[in-house]
Amino acid sequence: MKSLFRLAVAASATAFAVASYAADPIVIGVSIAQSPPGSVVQGTQVKDGVEIVVKMLNDKGGVLGRQLKVVYEDNQGIPEKGRAATEKLITRDKVVAVTGGHQSSVCLAEIEVAHRYKTPYVNTNCWSDDIRKKGYAEVFNPGNYNTRVSSAMAETIAALKVRNVIAFAENTDYGIGQAKLLGEFLQKTAPQTQYKYVALDRAGKDFTPAVLPLRASPPDLVVNIMLPPAAYILMNQLYEQGVAPSAKTAFYDGAGIADYPDFWQNVKEAGKHMLAFGLYHPAMPMPALGKQVGEIYQKQSGNEPNRLIFQAADSVLLIARAIEQAKSTDGAAIVKALQGIDFEGVRGKFSFAQEAGYKYQQWVEIPYVTYQLTEVNQPVSKTTLIQVPGKPLLIDKVIKPAK
Amino acid sequence: MLPLDLFVNGLIIGLYYALMAVGLTMIFGILKVVNFAHGEFYMIGAYTYTLVSLALGVPPWLALPVAAASGALLGWATERFLMRPLYAGYGSWALMKDEYAVVVTFGLSLLLINLVDKIVGPYPMRGPSLSEVTRMAIGPFMASGQKLITAGVAIVLLIGLALFIKRSLWGRQVQAVAQNRLGASIAGIDTARASSIIFMASGVLAALAGALLAPVINPGPDVGVFPAVKSYVIVVIGGMGSIPGSVVAALALGVLESFGAVYISYDYRDTFGLVLLILVLLFRPQGLFGERAREV
Repeated sequence: MKSLFRLAVAASATAFAVASYAADPIVIGVSIAQSPPGSVVQGTQVKDGVEIVVKMLNDKGGVLGRQLKVVYEDNQGIPEKGRAATEKLITRDKVVAVTGGHQSSVCLAEIEVAHRYKTPYVNTNCWSDDIRKKGYAEVFNPGNYNTRVSSAMAETIAALKVRNVIAFAENTDYGIGQAKLLGEFLQKTAPQTQYKYVALDRAGKDFTPAVLPLRASPPDLVVNIMLPPAAYILMNQLYEQGVAPSAKTAFYDGAGIADYPDFWQNVKEAGKHMLAFGLYHPAMPMPALGKQVGEIYQKQSGNEPNRLIFQAADSVLLIARAIEQAKSTDGAAIVKALQGIDFEGVRGKFSFAQEAGYKYQQWVEIPYVTYQLTEVNQPVSKTTLIQVPGKPLLIDKVIKPAK
Repeated sequence: MLPLDLFVNGLIIGLYYALMAVGLTMIFGILKVVNFAHGEFYMIGAYTYTLVSLALGVPPWLALPVAAASGALLGWATERFLMRPLYAGYGSWALMKDEYAVVVTFGLSLLLINLVDKIVGPYPMRGPSLSEVTRMAIGPFMASGQKLITAGVAIVLLIGLALFIKRSLWGRQVQAVAQNRLGASIAGIDTARASSIIFMASGVLAALAGALLAPVINPGPDVGVFPAVKSYVIVVIGGMGSIPGSVVAALALGVLESFGAVYISYDYRDTFGLVLLILVLLFRPQGLFGERAREV
């Protein structure tokens, strides 16, 4: 009887341990800027997208029968902090993968740590090609990349048939890299175009000295390769000085800032007539899951969703699908699954290229649009589409200011 | 006409710098400490102006005095609760711990940035403009109505401050405390009140600078960091504790940066001030208008 009792206790203890293990959540690390000087606006949107999709997955029973848990780390947009955050997520929090990166300089620091620990790293929104060129097997890129934007911008600039183009680029890996690439693409697609770029401090508050010389010899087009808040300040000062947007000079945003929730509050008239490169537009075709994520976000925030919401959602979904496919949370197994994955996320179907260089483990044919803002406070859904994914530009639709 | 454009723009930027730097130098002149939270006085002014105006619907011109009051309140509270331990027993003035001031103001700076980040949010908020004129040409010069109003108000504030310090009873008391705290105390001057006045005035100037620039700089929680760094440079170039020195240094720096950015390189814009700082420290360490200190 005594031994039977002992056996029962042992069996209960084992069952309890197994149940506890089964109930242990799968932990995903998210490193984002939650405080200055990083882009907290972007960090907040990434977090919103992550939260929506994690809840959706957990409501459906989680992954491999386990709930997903997210541990956030604030990298402040500083590479050293990002490196420390990733180290902490991997070693202390024991995350199965890291995601959320949205500033290239930080991603470049973080992937070194992920590579060292062989931990999967899904790059949410770092555009610098250098991240891909590292060729790290652990790093996957479902977001946009500089070459894609530069080639798209060069195509638009060539179609606009402009002669003089000046780009204002933030002094970061992303900004300088983008500006240089744009120059290279313009040499191929529009060799007659005179192009130069000016690097500006992303923490700067007064860009008037950079703008004033343009009053004497205005270019045909000013290109923005800066993120807010510096981008907003630059736009206001370009407008205040009568440089752009104007009848002579068009303004083209290549940083995808038009769908930020605080865009109109900060630029007002300076944003009217802006041409924009965009990775999301409500008129773009989108799977049902994407529409569902967009609706949840709109209901929660009262704002139209933007690309970061979807990119963040896809980042988490990728990790979840890879775990399901690998039937394991082991880093090497997840990496292997991601390399061969045929993924359908919130933005469409894709798989990762394995070609070395900027295409390495990248969703190469990432869809984009070009649109123009024609009224102050105009939501993205009401803007004029100049180019839908995979179609030629409709330059005739572009409107210029009267003066 | 680019040089004229650059000169006028440089002067306007210099006036913004001066509003910030003068408050900082006043605190140094009286307490001999550097207020590392000075940039956050500016940030609080910008946010108060923007929120009072946008959230409560108060007209922008009425939101300005509210922003000034917020700066005064913050200045008073900083002096009353954080600075007073420095000179509670003024007899031990010589034993004042600089480290205390550095740590406490630096801590206050971080606290305020993070409080605003968590309470108001991380998004930059453009303040409402005091003028509907988004751009206007005055001869060859072009600016927004807001920029011109800001420059005008800055001039009035700086002249008003100079008159207050030179002519008013409280201003004279402040001068006395700046010269010799113990001596002023023996002469019957309430030195604690003089310190409070200076902190409040400094807070008002910084908060008004933030409020006036809120429609131009789109303030976020860390908006004060950049002008604070500029202010430290200006205060040292002008001579620590010298109000005229700070004004002249601020205007000179504004013009130098404006020309240097165009004729040398925009990339080095922020380094011009630092080069000037090094030159001043090498050849006139007390600053342009500062006095040589001698301790026995």
